[in-house]
Amino acid sequence: MLPRPLLLLLAALLLSPLAQADPGLVLVVNARSGVDRLTLDDAVNIFMGRYRQLPSGLAALPIDQPENQPEKARFYRLLVHKDLAEINAYWARLIFSGKTSPPHQAKSSAEILDLLARQPGAIAYLERSQVDSRFRIVLELER
Amino acid sequence: MNIGHILWLALIVSPGSAAAADPFATGAVNSGFTLNGFGTLGFARSDNDQAQYVRDLSQPYGLTTNGTAKVDSVLGLQAAYRFDNKLDGMLQAISRYRYDGSYRPEISWAFLHYSPDPDLNLRVGRLGTEFYMSADSRLVGYANLTVRPPPDYFGPLIFSYLDGFDVDLARPVANGLLRGKLFAGYSPESSPFVGNITWDLSGTLLAGGYLDYQTGPWQIRLGHVQARFNKELPLDALVPGIIEAAPELSVSDKWARFDSLGVVYDPGPFQFQAMFSQTRHDSATYEDTRAGYAIASYRIGKATPYLGYSRTLSKANRFAPTSPPLAAQIASATHSDQYTWFLGGRWDIRKDLDLKAQVDWVRGSPSSIFPFRGDPVVWDGRMTVFSLTLDFVF
Repeated sequence: MLPRPLLLLLAALLLSPLAQADPGLVLVVNARSGVDRLTLDDAVNIFMGRYRQLPSGLAALPIDQPENQPEKARFYRLLVHKDLAEINAYWARLIFSGKTSPPHQAKSSAEILDLLARQPGAIAYLERSQVDSRFRIVLELER
Repeated sequence: MNIGHILWLALIVSPGSAAAADPFATGAVNSGFTLNGFGTLGFARSDNDQAQYVRDLSQPYGLTTNGTAKVDSVLGLQAAYRFDNKLDGMLQAISRYRYDGSYRPEISWAFLHYSPDPDLNLRVGRLGTEFYMSADSRLVGYANLTVRPPPDYFGPLIFSYLDGFDVDLARPVANGLLRGKLFAGYSPESSPFVGNITWDLSGTLLAGGYLDYQTGPWQIRLGHVQARFNKELPLDALVPGIIEAAPELSVSDKWARFDSLGVVYDPGPFQFQAMFSQTRHDSATYEDTRAGYAIASYRIGKATPYLGYSRTLSKANRFAPTSPPLAAQIASATHSDQYTWFLGGRWDIRKDLDLKAQVDWVRGSPSSIFPFRGDPVVWDGRMTVFSLTLDFVF
C-alpha cells in the first residue's frame, strides 16, 4: 500500500488531464453595451441565431472563434452539448432555407478583441485570461 | 423564372461580389456577398418490382430492384447578398429529378429579406414552403439526420416553393422563445400525375402559418396550411368526361387543409423528433389522411445511429350511388395504409461531408398505393429499401 500523500498525488495527476479537458469559457460583451448578465437561454438564442437582441435593446453581433481553435468546439459543447459537425448541420438548414446567418467567423483572436472593442453589440466567448477592462463578463460557462 | 434569372445576374455582377465589403463600413459584421452550395449523391434500391418507391410524389418514376441515383441526388447553389444589417437577398438554384423526368435547374428561392428589428422578419419573392417543420430544407441532406424525410409523412407534399411573402415574429416568453409565422403565395410548380401526364399547379393558392415554442432542449410547433388548387387534375386525360360525370372529383377551387404538430427534444448526444399531421380534402379525389413519424438517435463521436417509425393511414371517400363506379376507383388510387420502420446511421466524415446508410422496411396493405409510382395493381404492400447517400455543403 502506498502512503496516503503519494496516493493523493497520484490521484491528482491522473485526474488533472480530465479536469483540464474542458476548462470553462466566459462570454463577454463590450463594456458600453449596457448589459450586465445574460442567462444560458439568452446565449443559446444569440449564438444559435434564434433571437439576436441584447436585454439592453441592442442588436447582438455574435462572433465565433477561428475554426481551428479548440475554443470553438469547447464553446458549443458547453452551450448545447453538440459537436461542430452538428453545429454545421444546424447552420446548413438555416442558411439554405434563407433564415439567419451563423455568427461572424473570426479569423484570429486579435480580430475578436478588436470587434468586441469597436462594436457595442458584439458578443464573444474567450478564455478568462483574455478579458480586460474594455469588456464585461456576462456569463460563465462551466462544465 | 425570368425575374429569378435577372436577380441571379444582378447578384453576380453587383459591385459587392468581391466579397471584401468592410464589416465596419456598414455597421454589420456579416455583410457582402456569399456563395454556398449543397448536394447529395445517393443510390438506393428495393426488393420490389411491383411498386416504385419515391422520395415524394413530385417524382414521376421511382426505384425498384434496379437501383437508381435519381431519387435522392440533388445539387443546389446559393448566392446571398447583404446590403446592410436590415436588408439582404438570396437566390438559390437546384437541379434534381423533376416532375417531367428532367434535371433542368430551377430557381427554388429568390427573395428580399427585410428585418427592421431582430425579432421581425419579412421576406418577399420565391420562398420554400414550410408546410411542416423542416419542410423548407428537406432537400438539404447534410442538414438532416436521415437519408430522406420519411416518405410516409412528407411523400404527399408536392409543393417545394411558392411566389409570395412571409412574416416571422419572435418574442421571449418565460425562459423560451415564442415564434409565429404567416405565409401566403401562389405555386409556380407542376406535379407528375400518371406516367408522363403532368398536373399544372400554377395559380394554386398556398397560405398558412405556425406557432413555435423553443425552451432549453425542447421545441414544439403547431402548424396549419391551406391550399386552394387552381387547375383541374388531368383526370380527363385518363377517363374522358369523368369530372363532368362525377363533379365531386373536381379539385379546381377546392381546398386542402394541412394541420400538423411537431416536437423535438434535443438535449445533447440523444435526440428525438416526432410529427403528426392531418390532411383534409374538399375534393373527393383525395382521401383524408393522418400521418406521423418518430426518430430517435444517439451520437457516438462521428457516428449517429438512428431508428425511426412512420405511419400513414387514409380514409376511403364515400360516393353517391349515382356516381359512376370509376369515381370510387379513381379516389382509391390516393389510398394509404402502411407503416415503415427505418434503421440507419450518419457518419460525419468531415465538417462539410457526411455518409449515410439506411434500410427501410415498408409494411402495408395491398391497397396502399398512393405513396408509390408505377401501377402497383398486384402488390403485397411489403418492401425493403436500401439507401446510401453522401451529403456535402460548401
